Amino acid sequence: FEMECRVLSIQSHVVRGYVGNKSASFPLQVLGFEVDSINSVQFSNHTGYAHWKGQVLTAEELNVLYDGIKLNNVHHYDYVLTGYTRDTSFLETVVDIVQELKRMNPKLVYVCDPVMGDQGSMYVPENILPVYRDKVVAVADILTPNQFEAELLTGRKINTEKDALEVMDLLHQMGPDTVVLTSTDLPSPRGDQFLVALGSQKIVRPDGTKSTQKIRMDMPKVDAVFVGTGDLFAAMLLAWTHLHPNDLKAACEKTISVMHHVIKRTMTYANGEMRQIPHKCWCNPAGLKPLLGTTPPSHSWAKLAHLNQTIKSLKNGWPGH
Amino acid sequence: MHEMECRVLSIQSHVVRGYVGNKSASFPLQVLGFEVDSINSVQFSNHTGYSHWKGQVLTADELHVLYEGIKLNNVHHYDYVLTGYTRDTSFLEMVVDIIQELKRANPNLVYVCDPVLGDHGSMYVPQNLHPVYKNKVVPVADIITPNQFEVMDLLHKMGPDTVVITSSDLPSRLGDRFLVSLGSQRTSKWRVRMEIPKVDAVFVGTGDLFAAMLLAWTHHYPNDLKTACEKTFSVMHHVIQRTISYAHELAGPGRRPSPPQLELRMVQSKADIEDPAIVMEATVLTL
Repeated sequence: FEMECRVLSIQSHVVRGYVGNKSASFPLQVLGFEVDSINSVQFSNHTGYAHWKGQVLTAEELNVLYDGIKLNNVHHYDYVLTGYTRDTSFLETVVDIVQELKRMNPKLVYVCDPVMGDQGSMYVPENILPVYRDKVVAVADILTPNQFEAELLTGRKINTEKDALEVMDLLHQMGPDTVVLTSTDLPSPRGDQFLVALGSQKIVRPDGTKSTQKIRMDMPKVDAVFVGTGDLFAAMLLAWTHLHPNDLKAACEKTISVMHHVIKRTMTYANGEMRQIPHKCWCNPAGLKPLLGTTPPSHSWAKLAHLNQTIKSLKNGWPGH
Repeated sequence: MHEMECRVLSIQSHVVRGYVGNKSASFPLQVLGFEVDSINSVQFSNHTGYSHWKGQVLTADELHVLYEGIKLNNVHHYDYVLTGYTRDTSFLEMVVDIIQELKRANPNLVYVCDPVLGDHGSMYVPQNLHPVYKNKVVPVADIITPNQFEVMDLLHKMGPDTVVITSSDLPSRLGDRFLVSLGSQRTSKWRVRMEIPKVDAVFVGTGDLFAAMLLAWTHHYPNDLKTACEKTFSVMHHVIQRTISYAHELAGPGRRPSPPQLELRMVQSKADIEDPAIVMEATVLTL
């Protein structure tokens, strides 16, 4: 059985490492998806390293690439996948492209990770928010905000699980039938070594009645910050919702399991590296909260592809901080 | 489970749709467990064989900037470098500089180079790339994968106007009892291929006879590599056939001939040497 499912992924490319398209493409390809990828930037590595260099694609250049695809009449996609974007005109061009692709294929599913920030602070320009809120979310089918992004998009604070469910309903009304809050500060019934994620999917039952399936996931926290995990999450959610279309529970269990295995292997490898080089650490102290002796970071599914976050591979906090 | 830790730097094109350049190289390498760092030398909508194609190219400077980023983080450690289709000389020269530096960082680095110049007799990169490949790229390559056109071209660039690859393991269209030889003459633009019947014996001196006869027949047919090769290979055939027949006679039925018995029947082949009957036809590849 050969699947014939084509994804257009518009994300960053890094020469080294796994964020953006580097994080999304290979896993999707391994699962049998055809992945067309437009690289929104080409950087040497992600911006959590001590140094990074590279070039960005303008909205105009994005249009030119899309034009090439269109001129060949091959602009037929089953999915579009987008993530971290910093430029409003680029994002608006993405919306135009998605709308046209949906006209070509009304069944197209747009998986959108509305990357804007985390833990109460934005790491993209503020003027990106209205573009997501007023234009992007409306055409999204699957949305993967974290708590902060969900709050920004709806203008509502989330203090309880009830708040979260209401926010997800608001997001449904704004566009997507599937919403996954990839991480929250909500307390987990399993204790403070776990973080809570929530999902909500509008489905049509076999008898034609409509319903919303809501799920909660309690995920073990990991004492490290990863970059690119959010991109991997969105890509894997695309894959597993494709393979389990009306079963968000199954799709999320698969997605989160993949994340778990990748993260565990990464931790093991990085700790091995750490043993060889005890103080090897790429750190940007600006804006980082002190962690020594406090609860570990509450967001293991960090999609923090930006300056303030780095890869740290430690079991017990940062030496020297 | 053993985990390979082998890092490749691949500097090739990226296409949004389809499988050329890095799109063609990365996934299979990753599936096999290689860590692939990729620098995209261009980003095009699709390859240039479609009706339309659009996109952007990376300049040599921009390539340098990306490499600088890797270097500043002190992660410029690679086991392999892989390059392919390039159209720009300054870009190619920058690639060579990068490779030389990476080799200093890791003397065991293996540079796999596909010296993409053209095929079937026509060039599909600018002419001015040739000297860069010949003088700078190939000398630092550890593995190169030219097609037969590119092999000939690289050898021509080293000096000789006429190149004959006397034997190869290329598959013959006549089957596995034949071997393939190739000839190329730059000024006259002849490119020929010959299917030579294999003989189940080891001869010594045949290569020397060949070179001498090629001298003679290219002298008589200076602008006709096809005929020169047909004559030369025909002489070889006659001498070898006479030799193997005689050798079998000497050895007796069911015995393999010995080296003394396999000495070429040179003087006995005088008539064939003087005027070889053409017994094989060279296929002209291009003109």
